[in-house]
Amino acid sequence: MNQSMRLSGRAALLAASAIATVVVLGPIIWAVSTSLKSDNHIFAVPPRLIPDEPTLMHFQRLLAEGVQWSFLNSAFYTVVAVAFAVAVGGTAGYALVRYPVPAKRALLILFMGVMSIPSYALLLPTQVIFVRLGIFDTRLALPILYAAHVIPFAVWMTRAHFATVPRELEQAALVDGYSRFEAVWKVIIPGARPALIAASAFGFLYAWNDYITATTMVESPDLRTLPVALIFFQGFHGRDWGALMAGVVIATLPPVVLFLVYRRYLIGGFSEGSVKG
Amino acid sequence: MVSVPASGTTTFTRSIEDAARAGRRIGTTLVGPAVLVVIAVNILPAFFGFYSSLRKIFFFGDEGFAGLDNFRALFADPVTWEAIGRSLIFTFGALALAVPLALLAALAVRELGARGRILLTILLVPWAMSPIVVALLWKWILLPSPGGLFASILATFGMPPANLLSNPTWAMPTVIAVAVWRTFAFAAIILTAGLGQIPKDLYKAAAVDGLTAMERFSRITVPLLAPSILIVLSMLTISYFNEVQVIIGLTSGGPIRSTTTLAYQLYLTGFVELDQGRGNAIAVVMFLINLVLIVGYVQLLGNRKGGEA
Repeated sequence: MNQSMRLSGRAALLAASAIATVVVLGPIIWAVSTSLKSDNHIFAVPPRLIPDEPTLMHFQRLLAEGVQWSFLNSAFYTVVAVAFAVAVGGTAGYALVRYPVPAKRALLILFMGVMSIPSYALLLPTQVIFVRLGIFDTRLALPILYAAHVIPFAVWMTRAHFATVPRELEQAALVDGYSRFEAVWKVIIPGARPALIAASAFGFLYAWNDYITATTMVESPDLRTLPVALIFFQGFHGRDWGALMAGVVIATLPPVVLFLVYRRYLIGGFSEGSVKG
Repeated sequence: MVSVPASGTTTFTRSIEDAARAGRRIGTTLVGPAVLVVIAVNILPAFFGFYSSLRKIFFFGDEGFAGLDNFRALFADPVTWEAIGRSLIFTFGALALAVPLALLAALAVRELGARGRILLTILLVPWAMSPIVVALLWKWILLPSPGGLFASILATFGMPPANLLSNPTWAMPTVIAVAVWRTFAFAAIILTAGLGQIPKDLYKAAAVDGLTAMERFSRITVPLLAPSILIVLSMLTISYFNEVQVIIGLTSGGPIRSTTTLAYQLYLTGFVELDQGRGNAIAVVMFLINLVLIVGYVQLLGNRKGGEA
């Protein structure tokens, strides 16, 4: 009796998980399928999941429109912002753990407080400031903003991890004749790797996936990011769902691959924070 | 015992002081860049935004000091109150959907063991996607024409295609559902971690005492998971209240303003209507609401921790 109840409970659970998986992955698979269908198969009734004659024509159409340049813009802004934010934020996180920094508490509250300002609420004043400084609509605008939003996060995340690298390990490295730099490079950074990876991955997802900052800080078509380019493409070719889904696939591939590769660090970063926090 | 010469002691103290000073100097140098960037790019615009909210600025033309006029006009306008109402509907609608789903997912993840981790990974894939890209994807799925995925599903049940996104009644529930689709599994991570903290022995003891699954859930799981549920509620409340990109992508606030939340109203006023004075006033209001939410969140969690200690 009890045994069969357990079994039926387990069956219900598996069924629910299967439904959840279909609801979550179905739309994504549908986008991939649409992106590979020829124009006259896209609106087939009833819809078919497997394309009859798979084609890359939609991807080629996007290339003809120059979407690859927007992809490269997105990649450039994201990589520069994340590298800068994690270097600067990680350094600060390390200093806050190891050195008697003046006003340490105030600084920690500053970083926490900044995270609590919704980033798009600052876009109006930022636009005016950037126009006056001549940064508006340049290649500098987005890396600066993305980095500034990721830094506080990187500080908090790395700080907790640097604290777990034993001080003795650093000292031993120095005694062994390593320079300060070598000690940091060979002992401390490897020790804080999970936090550095998690901070980088979060930063990447934030910057790569952003639309609102990119659409308000950059105007020139040459400087557009991929999400902005897709929205413009939709504005001109609203019914070209094949090409739009090809764009969805291209925009989604990098963050999803990154998430799948680093999911351990990303999931760990959040669950650790919540349980200990 | 060898007595330490006086001169030795002073050299020693002096070297400690030097080391401390050097430590402070190195520390300041290392923290400096992060602090400078954060002040220049986050704090200064915040102050400038507040200053701008007190001025009449339209189409980048600053027409002078306006005092609290922007705020007065804002709150005298029924549109603002409607937008605040819609923000609340969006936030609490999404919470009501996301939290039970996340709890179910977390229970399934725990129950399924190693396969559960695969399930969680799958459920989290939409969370790695761009909100605007998610909006594009769902626009295509919800397209009310034969051959559209959603329309075809309706057709198999003998129903005509429905244009959810341009229907004033259905637009908001649809936008909520898409936002939840993207984010609910994020809450499941935190709940899964919370479930992992509950000792397994409690369930064994409860089973020996003859408690049913329902009783075990209500008497053990829910009370012990309460701190994690509180974290999830707080984080999601803040994130849904500030959601704007999914709305821009799916409905642009329409039809007939039915999805214009306060966050979207800010975007519309500042960047589309170019009323920067009033836009900044909305930003200040948004910031204050966020502050209240965050202080409430910290307070709730802080008290709970104090209670346990």
